[in-house]
Amino acid sequence: MAARDGSGPRLPRVAEPGVEGEPRLPTGRELTEANRFTYAALCGISLSQLFPEPEQRSFCTDFVAGLVKWLDLSEAVLPTMTAFASGLGGEGADVFAEVLLKDPILKDDPLVITQDLLSFSLKDGHYDARARVLICHMASLLRAPLEELDLLEETFLESLKESKEEDSESAEASRKKKENRRKWKRYLLIGLATVGGGTVIGVTGGLAAPLVAAGAATVIGSAGAAALGSAAGIAIMTSLFGAAGAGLTGYKMKKRVGAIEEFTFLPLTEGRQLHITIAITGWLASGKYRTFSAPWAALARSREQYCLAWEAKYLMELGNALETILSGLANMVAQEALKYTVLSGLVAALTWPASLLSVANVIDNPWGVCLHRSAEVGKHLAHILLSRQQGRRPVTLIGFSLGARVIYFCLQEMAQEKDCQGIIEDVVLLGAPVDGEAKHWEPFRKVVSGRIVNGYCRADWLLSFVYRTSSVRLHVAGLQPVLLQDRRVENVDLSSVVSGHLDYARQMDVILKAVGIRTKPSWDEKGLLLAPGSLPQEESRQVAATSSSDQTTNQDGQTQGPTSRDIPKAAIPPDLHQAQVPAGLDQSEGASLPAATRPAESPPLCSHGLGANPLGCLACARETQGPCPGLD
Amino acid sequence: MDEDVLTTLKILIIGESGVGKSSLLLRFTDDTFDPELAATIGVDFKVKTISVDGNKAKLAIWDTAGQERFRTLTPSYYRGAQGVILVYDVTRRDTFVKLDNWLNELETYCTRNDIVNMLVGNKIDKENREVDRNEGLKFARKHSMLFIEASAKTCDGVQCAFEELVEKIIQTPGLWESENQNKGVKLTHREEGQGGGACGGYCSVL
Repeated sequence: MAARDGSGPRLPRVAEPGVEGEPRLPTGRELTEANRFTYAALCGISLSQLFPEPEQRSFCTDFVAGLVKWLDLSEAVLPTMTAFASGLGGEGADVFAEVLLKDPILKDDPLVITQDLLSFSLKDGHYDARARVLICHMASLLRAPLEELDLLEETFLESLKESKEEDSESAEASRKKKENRRKWKRYLLIGLATVGGGTVIGVTGGLAAPLVAAGAATVIGSAGAAALGSAAGIAIMTSLFGAAGAGLTGYKMKKRVGAIEEFTFLPLTEGRQLHITIAITGWLASGKYRTFSAPWAALARSREQYCLAWEAKYLMELGNALETILSGLANMVAQEALKYTVLSGLVAALTWPASLLSVANVIDNPWGVCLHRSAEVGKHLAHILLSRQQGRRPVTLIGFSLGARVIYFCLQEMAQEKDCQGIIEDVVLLGAPVDGEAKHWEPFRKVVSGRIVNGYCRADWLLSFVYRTSSVRLHVAGLQPVLLQDRRVENVDLSSVVSGHLDYARQMDVILKAVGIRTKPSWDEKGLLLAPGSLPQEESRQVAATSSSDQTTNQDGQTQGPTSRDIPKAAIPPDLHQAQVPAGLDQSEGASLPAATRPAESPPLCSHGLGANPLGCLACARETQGPCPGLD
Repeated sequence: MDEDVLTTLKILIIGESGVGKSSLLLRFTDDTFDPELAATIGVDFKVKTISVDGNKAKLAIWDTAGQERFRTLTPSYYRGAQGVILVYDVTRRDTFVKLDNWLNELETYCTRNDIVNMLVGNKIDKENREVDRNEGLKFARKHSMLFIEASAKTCDGVQCAFEELVEKIIQTPGLWESENQNKGVKLTHREEGQGGGACGGYCSVL
């Protein structure tokens, strides 16, 4: 084999870009050989750092081996890449990143590698959760904005969906965005079409494959598009998006599974996305929270979100019981006292107030039933995910209370199976009524590729109460951090946001921000946008951003992005209570506060002061029919 | 498996393009020689366990690319290295002259100062020698390096070069002990090396 020339061989394009006049856009293969090597090496090192577990070894080495081929690097580098992927030579990761940052192509467009990795990860019609975590990691190493990944993924889908661009949009910003998208669309399609063999991703699960090919033809020329419509292409589409495009919503429980009576997926959003989010509700209550989707109005993790509807009958019973217990404890002072007793950790099974114990039977029974059922549902969910009903794409699970318990048992069940890796991206467990001992969480490392977030509240006396007689009472995850040493595990103390167990549903949008999950800006609890007139100017612009159906516009990134990242840890506690006081008095002053603490922007945040009621402000819950008091 | 392995050492091979770094490594690890060996891309990696004075050491050898276009990556490999083999071609004076640059780079990027360096003059099987053995020896002495002349083609001195280097590293306990503690390997006994000279006339331990 002769020595390669300086720039390295370039692949002949299968399809030249159809549009003329624009400069050809670079893909990963157009980097110099040295930088392709660096790029692959950095991926290898990152993989070994992200997934050091021995059972992930084969994924890491296979991934880099594939990448070497994809980047048209010599086979001779394989042993080196394997060494990198198995954790050797990781000392130089920053040098590699710096070298890449200096590359002239990447300097112009740091997204080249993000998109290249995305194309590579999708080429087999299988979007592994670990690949997505790697892409996010690489994007941060190369200082490419993370929001862009979402945009790329969306663009990817859109490019295949639309047969042609509509130019009716008049707004400048919107036009620019579209232009940007068109650019990326071509990148991605070119990247894919050149793989040869017709590897493609799809949108509609194979149903619209011919249409997709037609649409793609206008972008990449007929030669490349021919591959898209091929049988292999259709197979890949189906694999990515689940059987015949029906996906999760099409899932029906064929027979009663165990004791489960109800189990369906309800779509929360209309869109399609390369990664999905499943939200799991912990209880149902009368009034506003009687539906499974109600707490998740603000959730905007991906454009394709579902919520799991399970055992409504029992969850409703539980919700009623929770409210009964509250009205049983009409004395707010007693509740407040209880909160601090729990907080100080003095509560033993025998020291609960008699007034509470007298109504205990109201809660204990439904709670016990739901505990049992949530475990069953979790196991069932695990098998649905394992059988890839959702398609071969990353899934994020978010749940509160018993919904978090569903996730816990889902992960536990998945961990026992062989092919459990690379399905789950992130999990968020909020106020989870499960054992929080590290050893029980350890197997989850195998299942979860990204983050394992445990949102807890030390003062959650209700959770503490229902566990009063249980042996795991000292280690309830929803009451304290899970002490597992792993890069995945993030414990978020929500004590300042959640003042009672019922707040997990009511304050969901604030909580989501606190744990770093994207939420819809200016989204009212009822799912209605606030009237623009009642908003400060900055916010009406955000509303506009929402209505243009894109969460990742620039202005959005500036106003929302930094704050949601800043908030998660300790930022909230002192501000929150202070922010309540001037609520509604001075909107412009509010603009300087972090987004989560701004009452106008997050209406569900109680403006009556959180301290008054440990279970969330009832007054606020009642008043949600009208505009939030802070806005009057 | 590696229960009797005393330690794992990170060894780095550097030098100008075409001096025979990869050939030396190939001769050492696989005992083969390929006159048409392609230029290394980025870095090559090989593992070999050798036994020096009854101590088994696992060598993780990083063979860097000499070509200019891969130079920017070299700094990353220096980190954590315990031994460096600096290679020049005895039939090309320019590769010898450039050794100073390599030493500069070594000093700049090495994370420890007690790292063991070895200078290897390669290709002594060739007729048209341009760099005298004494010149090499003088240079090595000046910069307190180990020195050996070798030929990857005829196998001369290759084994020796690595053995000498490893021996010297093992004799410098501070160099590898901390690595061991990090990895939680327990040392039950350690035999002191008996000092250099194992290679007779070729090696000069300085």
